[in-house]
Amino acid sequence: MTLTAAIYLFGGLTALATLLMIFERDPVKAAMLMLAALLSTAGLYLAFSAQLLAALQIILYAGAIMTLFIVAITVTPAAWRDTRTARPAGAVRLKARTLGLAAAAVILAELLKVSAGVKTVTFSPEFSETGTLDLARLLFGRFAFQFELLSLVILAAIVAAVALAAKRKEAQ
Amino acid sequence: MTGFFEANREILLFTGLTAVKIAVFLGAVMGFTALLTLAERKVSALMQDRIGPNRASVFGFAFNGLFQPAADGIKMILKEDFMPERAEKLFFTLAPFFALVPALALFAVMPFGDYVMVFGCRVQLQIAELPLGLFFVLALSGLAIYGVILGGWASKSNFALLGAMRGAAQMVSCEVVLGLTLVGLMMIYGSAGLQNMVRSQGGLLFGFLPAWGVVYQPFAFILFLTAAIAENKRGPFDLVEGESEIIGYFMEYSSMRFAAFMFAEFVEIVLVAMLAATLFFGGWQVPYLYETGFLFPGGAQLPLNHYLVSAMQVGAFAAKTVFFSWFLLTVRWTLPRFRFDQLMGLCWKALLPLALLNILITGAVMKLPL
Repeated sequence: MTLTAAIYLFGGLTALATLLMIFERDPVKAAMLMLAALLSTAGLYLAFSAQLLAALQIILYAGAIMTLFIVAITVTPAAWRDTRTARPAGAVRLKARTLGLAAAAVILAELLKVSAGVKTVTFSPEFSETGTLDLARLLFGRFAFQFELLSLVILAAIVAAVALAAKRKEAQ
Repeated sequence: MTGFFEANREILLFTGLTAVKIAVFLGAVMGFTALLTLAERKVSALMQDRIGPNRASVFGFAFNGLFQPAADGIKMILKEDFMPERAEKLFFTLAPFFALVPALALFAVMPFGDYVMVFGCRVQLQIAELPLGLFFVLALSGLAIYGVILGGWASKSNFALLGAMRGAAQMVSCEVVLGLTLVGLMMIYGSAGLQNMVRSQGGLLFGFLPAWGVVYQPFAFILFLTAAIAENKRGPFDLVEGESEIIGYFMEYSSMRFAAFMFAEFVEIVLVAMLAATLFFGGWQVPYLYETGFLFPGGAQLPLNHYLVSAMQVGAFAAKTVFFSWFLLTVRWTLPRFRFDQLMGLCWKALLPLALLNILITGAVMKLPL
């Protein structure tokens, strides 16, 4: 009973924080709301007894990625202005809204398609207390090749980012 | 009414015991931390041939400065609570909490003893027994960065922001190294639960050497200590504060808000000391002491009462914590401050590859047919 309550609580918190983030105009406040959403997702994992996933969620997303986001945002001029930024003109706003709504519709359709499949998945009987072993078996066993390939893709992305940044400096 | 107690006996007992454990353990930690603020000033005074604080007194009794922490606390409460006009009110208020709360929450997973029998109940001497305690430690210590960033940015002061930038870069870099140095230990013990790790350190190597983590992973211990001091933002890595350069991310803070940042730093010293003791120096283990008493390598025995054994184990953990806390204070007042590029170079070009090498060698040795 407690676990079900926790699942609804953290699920609701995640949804609420995400919605507030979308409608927040101040970039730092939006980033902090996203942090709240990430942390309550970690709580959701805990309620599902996936302790490793919860810990990794906090270490990687809240501890590393959001830190970089917030550091980057706090040094932008927008984070240091006292007055609100002027709203864009009507035509631009309309275009942005149409594009945004279209993107949201696509993502929502995809999510619905995926969640239909999720409903039929059940816990495997040998699911351990923390889920660590199962996760490790999948990552380093069945999906080892894809997992290693992904790390190569990320490495290529880092090298490309460095190369692009270096080129821009030369142009100046 | 009795029916309710009978039906929920288990959960009531658990809640009550946990509350008592939190009160006792956190109370001890907070008291020790307060004394540590005095110890810091006394240690620095000793090393610089001064006397240090010795004036705060109650009815004329000063006890060589023992009341100084209480006097500091009262002074901090009575000071003006200042907030810059342009500051972001919400985040300015939130930042000290982000600094202090994760540090305090981490004591929940510290095993400060094995177990004691109370009225026939086996009470574990650890507030929360998480099977992935070490990950929990890494996760929450990562959240402390937000205290630094928010404090620096919300003050809307350039000096504070500079301190926050330094702090964020330093803490993220050292966090990576800190996590990687502990992988070797997890491989050896086959567990990430802190109590399990301490229990695995109870055996003997070659019949006489305590099987402590530092014996298996001496190299990782040095890396861990370096990264932990840097993560803690203390000298020789105190660039975040750098009194002579930028003062630090808490420059605009005063009163108890400032005290919260200051206190968090000392809480983290205790935390690092406890982690070093738990992971590398056997935690509450006393060499040759087992559940029933001493059993020396020569075969000599000394049977002891269960309560005496438990008391000695908790005492051993406290002694190790005090020793490492003292060691961290001494390091701060001995070494000169690094330059920022030197620190970043040390983290990414020296500590990180060495930590990875340590994992590789540990794995290779474990696979050797010995």
